[in-house]
Amino acid sequence: MSVTLISDPVDSSPNQSNSLPVSPNCQEQPLNETTIIDPDRLQVDSSTQPDMVSGAAGTIKIWAIFTSTFFTIFLAEMGDKTQITTLLITAESHNPWVVFLGAGSALITTSLLGVLLGQWLARHIQPQTLERAAGLTLLLISAIIFWEVLH
Amino acid sequence: MDLQLLGLSFITVFLSELGDKSQVAAIALSGTTKSPKAIFFGTASALVLASLIGVLVGQGVAEILPTQWVKMAAAMGFAIMGTRLLWNSSKPTED
Repeated sequence: MSVTLISDPVDSSPNQSNSLPVSPNCQEQPLNETTIIDPDRLQVDSSTQPDMVSGAAGTIKIWAIFTSTFFTIFLAEMGDKTQITTLLITAESHNPWVVFLGAGSALITTSLLGVLLGQWLARHIQPQTLERAAGLTLLLISAIIFWEVLH
Repeated sequence: MDLQLLGLSFITVFLSELGDKSQVAAIALSGTTKSPKAIFFGTASALVLASLIGVLVGQGVAEILPTQWVKMAAAMGFAIMGTRLLWNSSKPTED
């Protein structure tokens, strides 16, 4: 399902069905980070992809998000206690692939939980508040990692 | 398939990762993105790759060093990490 913001100067048509009022001269605006969303003027289109980007530019954006997330998390995780734990369990178990299966599925589960929680927060908290909190959190994590490196 | 080892690995890594900075980062990133799928796949594959490296290095260490040394190092490593975590969780919030 994708959501588009309908902008129109005059909202003249009465609400005849379950759909939201849309005037014939309406224009669609793509959503970006600074769009202020008025819930009364959202039109829900169920025919497009779940993610709210589309087209060639959208595909590049998705790959950019994937790649930046991948490298950031990968570098943060190298030498992290979870990786050391996996290493130690493997070293003393002599059964590396079972350990990899267990550890890998645990990590996929926690990633899924994290992303679902983030999405839940996005639905229940104002975007600006959430962005500020997310920004501060990431800065804090960055500071923690610097601190770990320098000690 | 050693189910006990499978379960142990899963639970240990799961608890270790819960609330870990990489999970918090995933929460923060996915709360403000238009593409949560990309965040999930990026995070999951990065973590799985990191754990694969851990497994390969662990296996290499196990083959090079005597088993007793490895077990001793594992025991000490877990003791240190466990103690540090307990210490951190019982201290009042600092800085």
